[in-house]
Amino acid sequence: MATISCRDFQTQHEGTNDALRDVSAQAHIRDCASCRSFIEDLGAIRSVAHSLEPADAEPPARIWVSLRAQLEEEGIIRNAAPKSWFVERFGGWFNSLPRPALAGAYLCALLAIAFGLSGPINARINRQRWLDGTESSTTPLSAHLMSAEQASFSSPVASESPVTASLHKNLEIVDNYISLCENSVREEPDNEEARDYLYGAYQQKADLLAQMSERRLNAEAPGQ
Amino acid sequence: MPEAEAIRLAQAGNATAFERLYRLHNRRVYSLCLRMVGNTAEAEDLTQEAFLQLFRKIATFRGESAFSTWLHRLAVNVVLMRLRKKSATETSLDEMTEPDEESGGPRRDFGSPDLRLSGSIDRVNLQRAVEKLPPGYKAVFVLHDVQGYEHNEIAEIMECSIGNSKSQLHKARMRLRELLHESLRDKAREDRKAAGSAGGED
Repeated sequence: MATISCRDFQTQHEGTNDALRDVSAQAHIRDCASCRSFIEDLGAIRSVAHSLEPADAEPPARIWVSLRAQLEEEGIIRNAAPKSWFVERFGGWFNSLPRPALAGAYLCALLAIAFGLSGPINARINRQRWLDGTESSTTPLSAHLMSAEQASFSSPVASESPVTASLHKNLEIVDNYISLCENSVREEPDNEEARDYLYGAYQQKADLLAQMSERRLNAEAPGQ
Repeated sequence: MPEAEAIRLAQAGNATAFERLYRLHNRRVYSLCLRMVGNTAEAEDLTQEAFLQLFRKIATFRGESAFSTWLHRLAVNVVLMRLRKKSATETSLDEMTEPDEESGGPRRDFGSPDLRLSGSIDRVNLQRAVEKLPPGYKAVFVLHDVQGYEHNEIAEIMECSIGNSKSQLHKARMRLRELLHESLRDKAREDRKAAGSAGGED
């Protein structure tokens, strides 16, 4: 039986998986070791390629959070809730406060948020909403605490005192504790206890920063 | 909420509808991006970009094609643009080395590889080789051989003919075959070298 050429075989096989149904193609690969090896190789590639598709490739939740924020910013989402009630309500207020009041304000805001969010869990609210709610309140808090921390570290005053060194050491410990608590909340966003621990950790950090801020202000005050 | 309803509500700016559409399609888009770029951080970035473009244009969606096809077209374009921007020189060189079907340039010969791929390749090898493909080949290969789309769907997604999709897939497979053979030969060479130096130490 006359078989087709390698070139014709290749043309027939182009981009398909079923060229071998053709009788002439079957006859060709019986006689042609090169094309047989070609077909086997492509079969091996295809079978491994199927396994490349991850069965459950869930993209991380932060993609939606960030996408939603962008859509709200661009006005594409038109019936959205306010982006962050905390920032809207207290953002400008924080900036206008004098430094000593700021230190105390952290505590008040933290306590208010912790109290508000540690109320009875509504069973209808799902995990994602808990997570979104927790993140929308902790993200601005975390940012404010970080800027307060940077201000404390940038101050040249009393930076070498043992008390300051101890406060900084404690701050490190509290930061580690916060990241542990954040992980717990991400794993179990509707766990009230985990959220309480997280807010408690933020409160400890605010306490420390308030102390550091007070020490700095006392040291900077003229005549002292 | 059914997809059609979600599309209608999203066109009116409804946040829940946007989220519903995102949840319906995010895995497939993320998986496409991941296979195309082979890097989770970049795949996340591209997934976000694809959905952002989709939602920016959603008001213009009239349902002439399936929503998922439309989304995949956007996603593929986003990935291709990124890949082309990232390695413009490298990509054009790769593509220039491929024979042009239309101009009747010489076809690549099968050759007679000295090693068989069957049983020798795994996911890691293949993913590495896929990463080296020119963007256009990579897109068709991932859509067809990894994600299981048919040529008519790929033609719609990539806005090309079915014949073009088949031809691109064929070239992609041929290029992969070469790359995999190269890596097998390299490995065999290294093994020989290692065996030689181990023998020399005895």
